[in-house]
Amino acid sequence: MSGDVKTKEEVSGDERVGTKKTSAPGGLFRGQKQNLPAYVFILPAFLFCALLLGYPVLYSLALSFRDATVETFVSGDMPFIGLSQYQQVIADPVFWKAMSNTVLFTFLSILFQFTIGFLLALYFQLNFQLRNLCLSLLLIPWVMPLLTSANTFKGLFNELGPVNQFCHALGLGIKPWLADPNYGLAAVIIANIWIGFPFNFVLLYSGIRAIPQEIYEAAKLDGASYWGRVFHITVPILKPVSIAVLMLGTIYTVKVFDLVWIMTGGGPGNGTHLLSTYAYQTGFSLLNFGQAAAIGTVIVLLILAINSIQFFLQRIL
Amino acid sequence: MLPRELFSPTFHLWPREFAFQNWTTALARLAPHLKNSLIISTMTAAVTVAIAAPAAYSMVWLKPRGKGVLFSCMLTSQMLPAIVFVIPLFILFSRLNVVNTLPGLVLADLTFTVPFALIMLRAYLADFPYELVEASLVDGANQFQAFLVVVLPIMLPGIVTIAIFSFLIPWGDLIFALSLMTDTALQPLTVVLYKAVGQYGIDWTFLLPGSILTAIPAVLFAIGASRFILAGLTRGALR
Repeated sequence: MSGDVKTKEEVSGDERVGTKKTSAPGGLFRGQKQNLPAYVFILPAFLFCALLLGYPVLYSLALSFRDATVETFVSGDMPFIGLSQYQQVIADPVFWKAMSNTVLFTFLSILFQFTIGFLLALYFQLNFQLRNLCLSLLLIPWVMPLLTSANTFKGLFNELGPVNQFCHALGLGIKPWLADPNYGLAAVIIANIWIGFPFNFVLLYSGIRAIPQEIYEAAKLDGASYWGRVFHITVPILKPVSIAVLMLGTIYTVKVFDLVWIMTGGGPGNGTHLLSTYAYQTGFSLLNFGQAAAIGTVIVLLILAINSIQFFLQRIL
Repeated sequence: MLPRELFSPTFHLWPREFAFQNWTTALARLAPHLKNSLIISTMTAAVTVAIAAPAAYSMVWLKPRGKGVLFSCMLTSQMLPAIVFVIPLFILFSRLNVVNTLPGLVLADLTFTVPFALIMLRAYLADFPYELVEASLVDGANQFQAFLVVVLPIMLPGIVTIAIFSFLIPWGDLIFALSLMTDTALQPLTVVLYKAVGQYGIDWTFLLPGSILTAIPAVLFAIGASRFILAGLTRGALR
């Protein structure tokens, strides 16, 4: 049926073939002794995982309980100070501003990215000329280096830039994009919607393409309208794909850093910080590594919470 | 466009005067850093393929113990924010004196590329028949020969896709380059462009052409490989 179900079948099919092979003649080569190459092939990945993934993450967690600033870092002792950095973070109004910005940024980005992606996917279901070319072109916002998109949007939202020229022409007046926290947040959300909608579109479109045409034909014969077919065939079948897309998108959006750092740097007045830029500023502008690590842990906890929501949703839906 | 036109009170969708010197100046300013970006991206892509390709083969077809743990480790790392890598790596690299070295930045970029590459390649490989490898093993090849002669050619389209991605991720990376490269001479393109936004305003005549020049390889790769990207991604992400 949908992409999700199909992949499950493929995975179990794969496992079946695997077990069959162990008893078949071919399995000879995968006996306990002959399995050495398996470990040789995977060893670099294990080493990488331990040294460049596991170690930094655990070290970051450890730092969040230590007083790691420039001074203690140079002297090298970095004393253990327990939860006090977490307390400082929670007491900081900028943290709560960054938290609410992150929630708003993520929610609005995902809402619009998903809606645009879904509508485009529906449109691409219809056959039209130059469809493949359009498909490739739609990937551009997403593969474009973030720096390029961020700088372009920075130019567009400049005080005398095209967006304000347009607002002015419509009689809305000049808006303080990027010079005001609320407008600044709106500007980075708009930019992020543009960057992220292709991801939603690509995954939803591949889900839609997996739906057999016969179902639509049958519904058409029964007199279902176009939107009737969309709501009673496409939407229910796409449900597992949609949950996956929404969850992946949410996790990626919570992590967004470059866009905001380039467009506003968290300002003005720390008003457009996301948790990621707030953590980076604490670490590399204020050089308080320990506290930045504590904010990092908070972001990880937030992402874990989103993940458990996904598991819960997949259970009940 | 000249600066005086760029933000003039009257807006033109199409510039009235073309200022090609903006492009030549931008190119001249970026040229020394192009080499850094190329070295970092190429090294990252090469090491990523060297780690991910054999590991993906082993995970999918040879099924060693611990592959589940490794895979969850890779998946989880994709979800973690960059800050939990940047700070420890900065401290670690300072201690090891690899801050401000190109290989140091490559190591940091690997934390983004390897998990992504392994997840995509694993999905890519799962659809291919193991019989081909078995046939060559029956013919007397050992696993390493089979990997080089049979598996690598089969995996080639997948490897090309992950190589492109592992090239483009460090190409566009800002957070690691900004934190781990303070030596101006070694900075890649992204950091130079980021720093064009200075204390005294923004140098638009450099920033916009420079940003577009930086984007060119990404856009070319993306259009060239969009078929692979679409296929690889949908399989990789939804599995």
